Amino acid sequence: MLLQVKNLHTWFRHQSRTIKAVDKVSFEIDRGETFCLVGESGSGKSITALSIMRLLPQSNLDRHDGEIRFQIDGQMPVDLTDLEETEMQQVRGSRIAMIFQEPMSSLNPVFTIGEQILEAVQLHFPELSEDEAWDRVIQSLHEVQLPDPETRVHTYPHQLSGGQRQRVMIAMAMACEPDLLIADEPTTALDVTVQREILRLMKALQERTGMAILFITHDFGVVSEIADRVGVMQQGKLVEVGETDQIIHRPGHTYTQALIAALPENLARTEKHEVIEGELPLIRLRQLEIHFPVRKGLFHRVADYVRAVDGVDLDITRGQILAVVGESGSGKTTLGRGILRLTEPTGGQVDFDGTDITNLKRSQLRQFRRNMQIIFQDPISSLNPRLSIAGIITEPMKVHGIGENQEERLEIARDLLEQVQMEEDTLWRYPHEFSGGQRQRIGIARALSLDPSFIVCDEITSALDVSVQAEILRMLLELRRQRGLTLLFITHNIGVVEYVSDQTAVMYQGQIIEQGRTEDIVNRPAHAYTKQLIAAVPRVPV
Amino acid sequence: MNESRPQRQSYWRRILRQTFLRWGARLGLLWVAILVVMGVFAPFLASSFPLLSSQGGVMSSPVLDYLQPVDVLFLVGFLTLLPLLFWQTGLLRKLLIFLSALGVTAMLAYTFVAPPKLVIYEQFRVAETEGRYDWVLYAPVPYSPKDYQRERGDTGLEAPLSKDSRHHWFGTEQNGADVLSRMIHASRIALGIGFVATGIAMILGIIIGGLMGYFSGVVDMLGMRLVEIFEAVPTLFLLLTFVAFFERSLYIMMVIIGITSWPGYARYVRAEFLRLRKQDFVQAAEAAGLPLPSILFRHMLPNGMGPVLVAASFGVASAILAETTLSFLGLGLVDDPSWGEMLNQAVQSSSFNWWMATFPGGAIFLTVFAYNLIGESLRDAIDPYLSKSG
Repeated sequence: MLLQVKNLHTWFRHQSRTIKAVDKVSFEIDRGETFCLVGESGSGKSITALSIMRLLPQSNLDRHDGEIRFQIDGQMPVDLTDLEETEMQQVRGSRIAMIFQEPMSSLNPVFTIGEQILEAVQLHFPELSEDEAWDRVIQSLHEVQLPDPETRVHTYPHQLSGGQRQRVMIAMAMACEPDLLIADEPTTALDVTVQREILRLMKALQERTGMAILFITHDFGVVSEIADRVGVMQQGKLVEVGETDQIIHRPGHTYTQALIAALPENLARTEKHEVIEGELPLIRLRQLEIHFPVRKGLFHRVADYVRAVDGVDLDITRGQILAVVGESGSGKTTLGRGILRLTEPTGGQVDFDGTDITNLKRSQLRQFRRNMQIIFQDPISSLNPRLSIAGIITEPMKVHGIGENQEERLEIARDLLEQVQMEEDTLWRYPHEFSGGQRQRIGIARALSLDPSFIVCDEITSALDVSVQAEILRMLLELRRQRGLTLLFITHNIGVVEYVSDQTAVMYQGQIIEQGRTEDIVNRPAHAYTKQLIAAVPRVPV
Repeated sequence: MNESRPQRQSYWRRILRQTFLRWGARLGLLWVAILVVMGVFAPFLASSFPLLSSQGGVMSSPVLDYLQPVDVLFLVGFLTLLPLLFWQTGLLRKLLIFLSALGVTAMLAYTFVAPPKLVIYEQFRVAETEGRYDWVLYAPVPYSPKDYQRERGDTGLEAPLSKDSRHHWFGTEQNGADVLSRMIHASRIALGIGFVATGIAMILGIIIGGLMGYFSGVVDMLGMRLVEIFEAVPTLFLLLTFVAFFERSLYIMMVIIGITSWPGYARYVRAEFLRLRKQDFVQAAEAAGLPLPSILFRHMLPNGMGPVLVAASFGVASAILAETTLSFLGLGLVDDPSWGEMLNQAVQSSSFNWWMATFPGGAIFLTVFAYNLIGESLRDAIDPYLSKSG
């Protein structure tokens, strides 16, 4: 037994309340094993990891006790909670290493990656000479398969891509050959293809060194790919521990069952909307181009262009849900905003219901605005924090002359909130009083307030927990059915695509490389990139 | 409709509450409030004119007869501000109401309020000693700031409470006027220059910075060059030059301090607008087809005001310091009392008169300190990482 956590409590004081972030958690991890902690946001997964590392903020700590027995060099296990701070520093980094979600902010931007790894190596192996330590740095970069480590070792963090940075973080963690690697959502910020490579790398390193991994994630796809055993956390409690296969297929606890059932793969399918040949599309894009100039020098001379959207042809039929998938930087968000002319297209044409809206003036565009709306990814920044919900929902209606007076508009707003399953007193509250899922519902109500026929949904569920995501998606499908909405659904989550969309378009470097019925794209991809993308998606075996 | 409306805290209410949770800000606010009360009611607190007097059965109020248009302006401004503070409505609307009330009063006051041109301060004291009044009620400090007590001979540079016959709580200055009275009246200048100069700078900064941030591109580039040019102008030396060329006027000082200190605000507003421009809620407002003024002033400006207000509270302090410096150098107002000018007198005197240095020096120190305390707390309150519970 490498690590044994018994009755771990970590409670925080906030105002006059006690928050039980970790509440009587017990589990154990063997050598060479990967143990996954899964749970929704706020379930206490990360705090559990920080408790083991003893990296908790001390200021508002209310209660912190329990046993954390950790075996060092095959000796009798020691309780980490009893160690002096100086002894704990010996354990951190050399025996237990940690990698984080955001690789950019966990690396120091003013040092080269070589210097940062070297520091860790020298701290834990003071007997090594400068040259030996440097060799070790290069070797560790080799191990994480960073291409051309001899020259890359002199680069700064900002010169690397997200995946490469995460590799450097892993190299730094692995440089001291730890017995336990704690990985806190290490692939959440990465694209699926990069995520697959990082997961493979971690597996390979584990096989070679025999270290144990405590892997924290919210993604059951990742869990089924990497975990040997799984612990499910809910509100600070570890509700269920078991083998991966058993947790995913035969969950025992009701909470785990609900979580698994909320995965988009497991949601009950609705019938797909088939395209009728010859029907006039609601949205028609012809060779749409959005190029951003790259300016240089004193006079802002245009040096080059970033081709965010580069010649896109797309038809969206009335009543259809078209999903646009692609990795970060593929231009899918810019495409969505370009259609609404929130970002001005630099070339091509956008037709809405047979009218070319590409060159309309601001005032002419206004009447089209009520028919085309957008819902955003980030539930925090999408609502004006200074306005009440009533103000947020009724202002667009007032501008477009919907409702005779404010009373009537408030009545409509109340109806809308009911449709998105929010209470009536929501109207007089402010955005900061709501959770992410509730804000997303308000965002949907705002988009619906103008009774649009077309809505761009830009990654609307990617900031949400799976159970909330399932509710929002179900609601959206229901609203689509009632109102006959046409949706452009931008996402990177293939499970969600399969669940909601009728048609799918795959974007890569500003262009649509493949388009067709969702079922065909997901099951029989034709283009090489699509195949690679679909294969990289971690899937929960159904 | 409104009956069912529960009282919710808007953002500014929360920020203000957070700000004044801190004891530093409370003390600062207390001092500023004392200054405001002193400045507004100065003619009733320190004046040689009796508040009320009765002469042969006829009641009269010489103070009111001698009230200057400025005094009326301060009073009306204060009286409109008080109810506005407790009225729950938008910040912008409050500001508009306040400014229009001031404008109307200024016009009316300067046309209709006509106090006697010739002022003989000692006439009331003389009348009293001659027994012409049935009874008379004086202000708490019965001396006007420019009352040199000529009928009493040389009263210059008396230490506080050194004479039994007449009480000068803070002593007298070299011309024989009461120091406390001058201090009270000088608080107006400190308040006026701080708020007006900062107000001018803020309005200019918000307009120019907002345009730069929203339109970016060429507008931004030209605007930033303008900002850099103005930042290179040394305020104090510009003031010195202007004072040398033109008459010494408080209004010129306010304007110069105002138009040389806007670049700081413009930079803040520009940065905030650049950030807000890409925020989803602004995009949503645009997608809903809201008109430009609504996007700029309803959705963007209130979200970008935080840093500007923090800068403004420090700006008030530095404007006060600039005026004080000028007055101290002897380039301030000619005859009107100001704290800096009083310090200047203290230095010029051949002997050291502690009351001439301590009181105005302390007042300057406390005022600048109070604004800095408020600014500091405001900054902490706006910073979400430092927000206090409660």
